[in-house]
Amino acid sequence: MEERARPNEGSQSDAPLLSEYAGDADMVELITYFVGEMNNRVQSIEKAWQEQDKERLRDYAHQIKGAAAGYGFPQITDSAAKLERELNEEATIADLSERVEALIGLCRRATASPDGK
Amino acid sequence: MQVCEHQIPRLLAIDDSELIHRLLKSRLRGERLEIHAAMTAEEGLEMARALLPEVILLDIDLPDQNGVDVLRELKTDSTTHDIPVIFVSGSTDADARVRGLDMGAHDFVAKPFDMAELKARIRSAVRICLLIKMLAQRAQIDGLTGLWNRACFDQRLKQEFAEATRYGRDLSLILCDLDHFKTLNDDHGHPFGDQVLEDFAEILSSGRGGDVPCRYGGEEFVVILPDTPADEAMIAANRYREAIRNMRWEEHPDVQSTASFGVADLKCLSEVSTEHLVDAADKALYQAKQQGRDRVCLAGQSDQNDLKLSA
Repeated sequence: MEERARPNEGSQSDAPLLSEYAGDADMVELITYFVGEMNNRVQSIEKAWQEQDKERLRDYAHQIKGAAAGYGFPQITDSAAKLERELNEEATIADLSERVEALIGLCRRATASPDGK
Repeated sequence: MQVCEHQIPRLLAIDDSELIHRLLKSRLRGERLEIHAAMTAEEGLEMARALLPEVILLDIDLPDQNGVDVLRELKTDSTTHDIPVIFVSGSTDADARVRGLDMGAHDFVAKPFDMAELKARIRSAVRICLLIKMLAQRAQIDGLTGLWNRACFDQRLKQEFAEATRYGRDLSLILCDLDHFKTLNDDHGHPFGDQVLEDFAEILSSGRGGDVPCRYGGEEFVVILPDTPADEAMIAANRYREAIRNMRWEEHPDVQSTASFGVADLKCLSEVSTEHLVDAADKALYQAKQQGRDRVCLAGQSDQNDLKLSA
């Protein structure tokens, strides 16, 4: 995976990931905030990964794990949990790389409304 | 003297994630809760001490100081140690949960939250908090008369004394004792004696709003009068004196009960301390007894200041 897949290109793995609470009027504003923050979050993760700062990477993974499911994205929580676990278990760079890519991929696909906005 | 149940319970969330703060504030909107949030351990401890919330939701995985340490601090500080703490963790480590509960945490919830479960656990913690407050208050109330008890008096007097000396305000004390109470008990029985104690307590409670009536022990009572000089305290004491002597009881219409009163304020003390204030009021009470009872005496004065109004 040299080229990271870009969101909204239409392939299966790029399909928008809709919050489970998207239909809940009380939650829309919250989810929109969460999704809006995603870009910064992804950049932070990428930066920590480039710098091989596992400490920071673990913090980010931990935070996302705790929050994402609350915003209706259990897949992102699962993915962050796996990354956190592998960071704790001192997994190989190759394994970690896959986890980081997976998490970033999911984060980029997160969306607040069915039309992908 | 009631626990403030009308107040909306306050929840303090200590969590380093802004995402969690927002989620809690939004998802708990329907609950009867006022939500406060702190990002760090330091801020959380500070807010807990200032706010004294009814429940604390503590993220055990805080970055700057382990949540376990925050929990330990909350539980060792006497001002915060009764606040139920629900600790939150994303880790599935059972050891951490056992450690947290053994350190005095009320409950544990896993992150990410199941909102229905979280709400129920918060409600349970708030109930516990109100019960603890009620018990603490019961422990300060005299069972027979419903007045504040001796332990509470000691504590309140210290507080009021500190306030008065700090801001240069007046502070008076009325110490009083029912006259010939033992004879009344012997002649008419203890149930009637208790009735008289209750009625006297009722009289002392019907004074001014800010006054603090307490049962000092036996048939002895004490009223703290914040921001009140001795002359006003004398008036209050005489009002109590007349009220008890005018009281009649259906079952014993021949009985008249009277009481003696000693009044002291900070100005009449040679040395200013709570002990000296109580001591001065006690001496004045003794003087009132010596002079024939059913009267009010002011500390540091001799017979001419015996302000007995009727013969």
